[in-house]
Amino acid sequence: MGNHAVSYGVMLARAQVIAAYPITPQTQVVEFLSEMCADGRLAAKFIKVESEHSALACCIGAATAGCRTFTATSAQGLALMHELLHWATAARLPIVMANVNRALAPGWNIWCDQTDSLAQRDTGWMQFYCDSNQEILDSVLLAYRVAEKSLLPAMVVYDAFYLSHTSEPVDIPEQEEVDAFLPPFQPPYFLDTDNPRTFYPLLGPEYYMEFRYQMEQAMEKALKAFNEAGTELKTIFGREYHPIEYYRCEDAELILLTAGSAASTARVVIDQMRVKGYPVGLMKIRLFRPFPGQELREALRSVAKITVLDRNLSPGIGGIFAQELKAVLVNSPKHPAVFSFIAGLGGRDITPQIIQQALEITLANDRPVAHSVWLGLQEEMINK
Amino acid sequence: MRDEGKEIPKKLPGMIVSFADMAWNKTGSWRYLKPRYENKTPPCSAGCPAGEDIEGSLRLLAGGKILRAWALIKIENPFPRVCGRVCFHPCEAHCNRGEYDRSIAINRLERFIADAATQKNRRVPKPKIRRRERIAVIGAGPAGLSCAYHLTRLGYPVTVFEALPQTGGMLRVGIPAFRLSREVLDAELAELLAMGIEIKTGVRLGHNLFWTDLKGFKAVFLATGAHISRNLAIPGEDIPGVYRGLEFLGQLNSGQKISLGKRVAIIGGGNTAIDVARSALRLQSEPHILYRRTRNEMPAFNEETIEAEREGVEFSFLTAPARILARAGQVSGIECLRMELGEPDESGRRRPVPVKGSNFIIEADNVVAALGEEPELSYLDQEIKVVRGLVATDAWQRTSKLRVLAGGDNTSFRRTVIDAIAAGKKAALAIDCFIQERGLEALWPKIQIGANGAFSMRQYLKIKDRGKTRSAEIVNLSQLNLDYFAPAERIKRPALALDERRQSFKEVNKTISQELAGQEAGRCFHCGVCNNCENCYLYCPEGAIYPQRTGLGYRIDYDYCKGCGVCMEECPRNAITLEEEER
Ligand SMILES: Cc1cc2nc3c(=O)[nH]c(=O)nc-3n(C[C@H](O)[C@H](O)[C@H](O)COP(=O)(O)OP(=O)(O)OC[C@H]3O[C@@H](n4cnc5c(N)ncnc54)[C@H](O)[C@@H]3O)c2cc1C
Ligand code: SF4
Ligand code: SF4
Ligand code: SF4
Repeated sequence: MGNHAVSYGVMLARAQVIAAYPITPQTQVVEFLSEMCADGRLAAKFIKVESEHSALACCIGAATAGCRTFTATSAQGLALMHELLHWATAARLPIVMANVNRALAPGWNIWCDQTDSLAQRDTGWMQFYCDSNQEILDSVLLAYRVAEKSLLPAMVVYDAFYLSHTSEPVDIPEQEEVDAFLPPFQPPYFLDTDNPRTFYPLLGPEYYMEFRYQMEQAMEKALKAFNEAGTELKTIFGREYHPIEYYRCEDAELILLTAGSAASTARVVIDQMRVKGYPVGLMKIRLFRPFPGQELREALRSVAKITVLDRNLSPGIGGIFAQELKAVLVNSPKHPAVFSFIAGLGGRDITPQIIQQALEITLANDRPVAHSVWLGLQEEMINK
Repeated sequence: MRDEGKEIPKKLPGMIVSFADMAWNKTGSWRYLKPRYENKTPPCSAGCPAGEDIEGSLRLLAGGKILRAWALIKIENPFPRVCGRVCFHPCEAHCNRGEYDRSIAINRLERFIADAATQKNRRVPKPKIRRRERIAVIGAGPAGLSCAYHLTRLGYPVTVFEALPQTGGMLRVGIPAFRLSREVLDAELAELLAMGIEIKTGVRLGHNLFWTDLKGFKAVFLATGAHISRNLAIPGEDIPGVYRGLEFLGQLNSGQKISLGKRVAIIGGGNTAIDVARSALRLQSEPHILYRRTRNEMPAFNEETIEAEREGVEFSFLTAPARILARAGQVSGIECLRMELGEPDESGRRRPVPVKGSNFIIEADNVVAALGEEPELSYLDQEIKVVRGLVATDAWQRTSKLRVLAGGDNTSFRRTVIDAIAAGKKAALAIDCFIQERGLEALWPKIQIGANGAFSMRQYLKIKDRGKTRSAEIVNLSQLNLDYFAPAERIKRPALALDERRQSFKEVNKTISQELAGQEAGRCFHCGVCNNCENCYLYCPEGAIYPQRTGLGYRIDYDYCKGCGVCMEECPRNAITLEEEER
């Protein structure tokens, strides 16, 4: 299952300190890692903590000491980490975390929804969205590689249950292959009694901006590093990863853009529509931060319309991927019309019919009919 | 970004890091609370009348240092092999672990340590007699021998006068071999006497030894115990086949043949009654204990009563004898009365009152009267005060007569081996202080352990406790940080199978294995005493705690300790004290 793919990834990455607090649907990630630590498969220090806040605090401490660290969480747990998410980034610590996308309460709901991770978009964490268990494992390795290159923390994000608890075959690379891809972490500075430094001291207006600027630059560096590492992975494991994955986009006039496991369903729908003669393609967006704006602008230059399917909601504005896309397109002179759809919140299934409906609405209209269209809503039950 | 002398890079570093260190920032100036290492008193030690350093010996045992553990015990108590078998272990009742899950099996561990040391041929070295003042001890029971032992170790020439042909007192003539084997008793006594204590057996004060004979001694310690069995005071007491408890045990323990019938009725509810019953069982009789109150009021040690029950001794409670019956000049039964519990008496126990007309007969071939013992004090001279049948003493065993001290069963109703040992030890202290003209009252707070009268001989001898002394504060469970401990099962005690017990007088309880001993010692919390667990060192957010070069203990750098109290909070055992800073 997806959760175990994470644990294997962390083991192969030779993480040295793991601190995590269990939460459904992430629990098996931690369980399996603690077993690996107990039986010696993984020579890491496993720190039991009383909250997610402490978990990330442990990782921050350990990473400052120069260790490769890992934590995992979901929904409420991620929200509890919020303060320290900012901390980890500004401290420039390449911590890697797995976040299982789960709906936020209330309305207690353990099912899939991307709002938890997307709500953390301004914390400066890189976010990698996956749609298969293989991709999850590979993304953990990629995350370490890119994080340590750019000194930014990274989140590997995947859907509750659709991926976390679903079994599928995963190729587990050999340790030597991984070691070649991922050399030991060598931080530029770390806690060292022989070479005392003051970490995270007071920082007044005279330097604060510069450090924030360096952080922003690091995001650019990370984008490059991701592309490089994703390509290199092909030569080692035979699998390749880039910020955006294109499916039948070559001659497409209408593009469907989505992230997470809905992309797998979307491929099927695209094939069906193609059979019927519609010129549709799919862009699966893998990297949400750093956001591949330039690449998107170029890729969408000759496209007339784009359908964005969001399994998340920023109340008052709508789907988050749609917003982000609009923001990067707005200054291009001849950009496509963006049709925003919201579906599958709180774990509701995104069926082929729903995706098809989104595409059909886009095809039938020249301009978006509404700011965002909610699909599969039980309208008759809603108090108006 | 402040820097002194170091090169300042022209470019900003990749992380928010200053190249200067923070040593200039003496965070100690922020402190208004000050932590300090302070070992405190574990409740087990205070619960042991002899004040054994139980925590210390368990720490040594857990570290595999059995002989050092033994030596530590021996500083306070000359009889760990005996105590490891028959002490009723008040220490365990005080153990903090008892409130948490189950107390540490201290008594079992003491037995293990002492037996292991004997096996390794370890003996207390013979001390040098450095002093000229001779001391006389009357009675070679645990009280007298403990006093002699400690005085000898303090360098005094000691002579012990004992009325009986053999030493040991009640350990020999009272306690039966199935609880304390004769080999163990003999070996521990022999070890003691080999230290150079002079023993004169067959000498009874008031009979063939007199006060005038004791003139040459600087001090006299009276440790004559309580050896007179109380009378039944009912008709038929003199019929053949009626024994007194001590008489019965004395004959048995000296190897004399006792002819018992099938049914043996034992009257009483104390240790003597239980030991008589369990002995009778081993002599193939059917013992039956008659006690006038209920199980709850029995003065016998509960553990032993339980064993007696398991072995098949019959009990009749609320049963009082009225008359012993005879047939053909031999005991045939007891006429008894049913009792019920009335108002509490001065001991706090409810007084038994007979139910009118409830007379009934219990058949018996023998009767043993085990109603308790009283001291025989006819040898005392006029100057020595007696209160309620006991020699009166102050808290340090001093009688009303100068240079005469007394202790053990003849001064107290707390009739236990360890209380007798403690009394002897305290008398030795008082005698040494008297001879050396040291103020005992002023000295006492420095050596006392808890408020129950125990003290540390080690402290008195000024043997360094790792350079630190313990505060008198007793650490209780609520003062420990229990997050660091997990429930763990107490060891089961190995014992002789029930069906084997009737076959012989073999010791019922067995010595535990080294493995079990280590496991059990590992359960100890080390209440109030630093055991170098490293927590404070790991947790100090200022890095102001340093391990000592000796590898024992830690040092706080007060230039940087900001008084946050984390070390105190995270010390699992309350070995750090936080106090207001005085500036
Ligand atoms: C049957 C029985 C079982 C017991 N079981 C236990 C037990 O399991 N655990 C426990 O802790 N306690 C037990 N006790 C109590 C314990 O044995 C006594 O409290 C303890 O032995 C008292 O020690 P002592 O030195 O004061 O007296 P004793 O041991 O009685 O020693 C006094 C010695 O002084 C001698 N003596 C007496 N008068 C004179 C004199 N005038 N001149 C010279 N010598 C004299 C006596 O012969 C004797 O040897 C038991 C007691 C009995 C009777
Ligand atoms: S002598 Fe008794 S009270 Fe003291 S430690 Fe041993 S068992 Fe406990
Ligand atoms: S846990 Fe150990 S130190 Fe604490 S009271 Fe019990 S025996 Fe003594
Ligand atoms: S925390 Fe551990 S090392 Fe520190 S004082 Fe307490 S017992 Fe000793």
